[in-house]
Amino acid sequence: MTAPTDIDAIRAAFQADLGAVATEADLQTVRDRYLGRKQGAVAALMKSMASAPTADRPALGKAANELKREIDQALATRRQTLEASARPAGGVDVTLPGRETPFGRRHPLTLIREQVESIFGAMGFETLQGPQVEDDYHNFEALNMPPDHPARDMQDTFYLDRPMPGAGGTPSTHPATLLRTHTSGMQIRYMETHQPPVRIIAPGVVYRRDTPDLTHSPMFVQVEGLLVGEGITMADLKGTLVAFLQAFFDADTRVMFRPSFFPYTEPSAEVFISCVFCDGTGCPVCKKTGWLEILGCGMVHPAVFEAVGYDPERYTGWAFGLGIDRVALLKHRVEDIRLFYDNDLRLLEQFPH
Amino acid sequence: MRILVSWLRELVTLPVGSGSPDSPVTIAALADTLTMRGFEVGAVEPWPAGPANPAGQPGNSEPPDAVLDLEITTNRPDCLSVLGIAREVGTIYGTDLRMPALWPDDDDQRDPIAVTIEDADLCPRYVGALVDVEVGPSPRWLAARLEAADVRPINNVVDVTNYVMLELGHPLHAFDLDRLAGPEIRVRRARAGETIRTLDGAQRRLEPEMLVIADAERAQAVAGVMGGADSEVSGTTRTIVLEAAYFNPISVRRTGKRIGLSTDASYRFERGADVEAPVRAIARARQLLATIGAGQPRGPAVDRYPTPPAPIVVRLRHHRIGHLLGLTIDAAFVAPTLTRLGFDPQLEPATDPPVWRVTVPTFRVDVSREEDLIEEVARHHGYDRLPTTFPALTQPAPPPGPWRARDHLVRQLLTGCGFSEAITYGFIERAPALAIHPDAQDIVALRNPLSEKGAVLRPSLLPGLVDSLIHNRRRERQDIRLFEVGSQFRHGDGETPALALVMTGDAVARHWSGPERKTDLFDLTGVIARLCEGFGGVATFEPDTAGHLVPGRTASVRLRVADQTTVLGTVGQLDPGFAHTRGLTGSDAVYVAELDLRPLTTDRFDHLQATPVPRYPSITRDLSVEIDDALPAVRVRDTIRAAAGPALVSINEIDRYQGPGIAAGAVSLSMRLTFRAPDRTLTDTEVQAATDDVVRALARAHRAKLR
Repeated sequence: MTAPTDIDAIRAAFQADLGAVATEADLQTVRDRYLGRKQGAVAALMKSMASAPTADRPALGKAANELKREIDQALATRRQTLEASARPAGGVDVTLPGRETPFGRRHPLTLIREQVESIFGAMGFETLQGPQVEDDYHNFEALNMPPDHPARDMQDTFYLDRPMPGAGGTPSTHPATLLRTHTSGMQIRYMETHQPPVRIIAPGVVYRRDTPDLTHSPMFVQVEGLLVGEGITMADLKGTLVAFLQAFFDADTRVMFRPSFFPYTEPSAEVFISCVFCDGTGCPVCKKTGWLEILGCGMVHPAVFEAVGYDPERYTGWAFGLGIDRVALLKHRVEDIRLFYDNDLRLLEQFPH
Repeated sequence: MRILVSWLRELVTLPVGSGSPDSPVTIAALADTLTMRGFEVGAVEPWPAGPANPAGQPGNSEPPDAVLDLEITTNRPDCLSVLGIAREVGTIYGTDLRMPALWPDDDDQRDPIAVTIEDADLCPRYVGALVDVEVGPSPRWLAARLEAADVRPINNVVDVTNYVMLELGHPLHAFDLDRLAGPEIRVRRARAGETIRTLDGAQRRLEPEMLVIADAERAQAVAGVMGGADSEVSGTTRTIVLEAAYFNPISVRRTGKRIGLSTDASYRFERGADVEAPVRAIARARQLLATIGAGQPRGPAVDRYPTPPAPIVVRLRHHRIGHLLGLTIDAAFVAPTLTRLGFDPQLEPATDPPVWRVTVPTFRVDVSREEDLIEEVARHHGYDRLPTTFPALTQPAPPPGPWRARDHLVRQLLTGCGFSEAITYGFIERAPALAIHPDAQDIVALRNPLSEKGAVLRPSLLPGLVDSLIHNRRRERQDIRLFEVGSQFRHGDGETPALALVMTGDAVARHWSGPERKTDLFDLTGVIARLCEGFGGVATFEPDTAGHLVPGRTASVRLRVADQTTVLGTVGQLDPGFAHTRGLTGSDAVYVAELDLRPLTTDRFDHLQATPVPRYPSITRDLSVEIDDALPAVRVRDTIRAAAGPALVSINEIDRYQGPGIAAGAVSLSMRLTFRAPDRTLTDTEVQAATDDVVRALARAHRAKLR
């Protein structure tokens, strides 16, 4: 191919050649062809100007210089594009481990609590938080457990050596004297300040003076639920808890209600689910019964309604209490409740982010 | 409560046997049914059929025997007895109760013993009776029944009192008449300074609020709790005073707790005995003593019952049962069930739906309201027969409390920074609590801790979190980042939400591509900065001191959000001495922070108004100055910010250098300043002028030299 000799032809030919450039070598060939000092088309053009009429020379020279600059610039731009698109030479061992970006885990008890909150949240329950240091009135008396009530033995209590200000440091008519044994005190606080309908859950750590062992910890996490309104029945309690337990464990989970006793509910029930270990066929965990005790519940005792100024003729309601640690042990087959409070990363890191 | 099935069979007809057509219900099925009615049978123990049978050896038709180990809830003291369970069984199977044989009343004679109740508030009823006895071993069957109930046989007299307690549920006591100061019983409060040696041999100091059973001279028993050793029945006892009484439950409970004794008797009295049972219990014991040849009753029983209470009557409305349960239960089921349980339901005339006036038997101390009766009906009808329904939502749930979004965001940000969440106990040892929060008056102590390891409520989350870090360190874990969100407790501030972080080991792990880098303070301050940024604020740090942190490596943390600055907490390197005391080995530095969660809120995000993204380019200038190395970087920043004018958008410390070319005690600090204007492209001249102002201000304020 020979280089064209007039300006427009050179420009057109250059554009065509540039369009065909794929590599740095192509680019060099094109550069040599047009800007080569001896054989380049532009150099040839310059030489040919000697034979042009004198009067035309300045205009021709100007046009030739413009062309040279134009080609030079187009080549530089093309070079940049080629350089930016160039693939690196050589590979790496892609099987080597990548650099770790550390990430932490939420505590398994937090995960379970959030699951419970989310299931009840979808059923319209509001999640509340109450103080851990409580007064006797909210933890016991308002819940139909007057002083010296034998049921207080069911919840062996830690007491403060002298009273603390109430929750959050606000002065209170009931100074805090104990560590709450359940989060039921929150139900009382809520009903004291809200009229029915009530639909709440209250998760949080609670304390009982139990010596630690495989299934007992002096501090553990509980969720309590409370629903109050007109025409609320025990069948509603059953329906709601069955829905919750099947959402939480498994859609096939069977649920059994059995009479029990709590001072703050009447009638009271204990709730069992078909054993998650043996699917109800009987194993050491369920003591061959096929059932696992999972929570306590019942219809709110009228004395509790009277304590908060609700009319027990008009309103009925139910409450339940669920041990988060216990369901975490069962759901995730953790063998020892104390592991949750050791915060051993070898346990924590088994749970999802 | 351990109940022998053959004993139960004496008091109620049981369709229980081998599962054959004659006796269709097996003992296992009985146990299941009792469990479903609220009496959990923890175990069914097979038991030999012969020895416990008063008739001697069983014939071939004798059904198998067993012991049911029942869990009795605290509200049902009446079922701490064979009779109570028999009543439930009779209700389950629709069979009748059989009351055991009683010694007939003998009201012709004078009281053989003087009984005076001085404190009727604590003892509304007291029954005493005499029996001339010949103390010896019990017959085999009687001893066998006690053994089945886990009660140790002692002698025929004591065994009969225990037998009657197990059978009827009412505790009895026997005094040796000859060892009392005459035939006289006084029921009174203890005198100041009075003491008694109880049956377990312990000398006990009594207090004036405790009730005692005394003779004319001194206390012979702690009422309802334990008898005295001085009047204990022995091999030489000739006559006994049998006692059956009703004691105030609270008084028995307090006394038992005070002297540290819980007995089979106090367990029943504190839950509530049957005020009508004492006469029957005495008559049953006298009958048994006579039957087994252990004694001969002398004279009538003396019954002191000054003011019998009116019976409790509760109205039960049939419609209310369905209203509470969500299931209509046939009226024809309700009344017979209550009757079998010992209630007396009388239909109120002309009521439709029916209403009953239900007289509550005195042994049902748990029943005082309509709901209690509804539970009885529901229990025997079966919870499994209740339908499952879902309560209608009548109003939307209110928005979640602000703490939820806050705690959620804290967890999200910190797990993203590589910190795992810990949950530690709310109570800790006193020493680490004081080390971190030295104000002893502010520490909240427990009156009854499980051990010294949990003596006080945590005034800070740090001690527990440091312990968790050490736990992991001792299990071959080198690189640890933990945080906890929770309450801390102080007398001054009360209970407040707090956040703590701990960090040790490598910040960058050893990798084939490069060396590791140890964690330092700036890893943790960086995390705190990111946390504050996550909440829409800016963290600033100021040199500070704290007893548990290394001096010179401690800072207070401030949060600035929209011109409001609040103190968040403290960050620093943990004093190695503290860490060592808690059990940390090795020399790695541990960095810790504790922050108040209250100033962190997501409220502002609810009303967030986005500012326009910058439309004009920014211009950067790098600046190196030599300044005093003791000057905090934050001062330099303050000076720059004040001098640079509004176009300065950021300052980055990009290098610090000390060494050749820099004077001793000085540092070369390189900073990159970024300028930008919202409304135009800045000119080089403007930026240079601002930079020159900065250099002059630094020279003036800190004698900084431009390099």
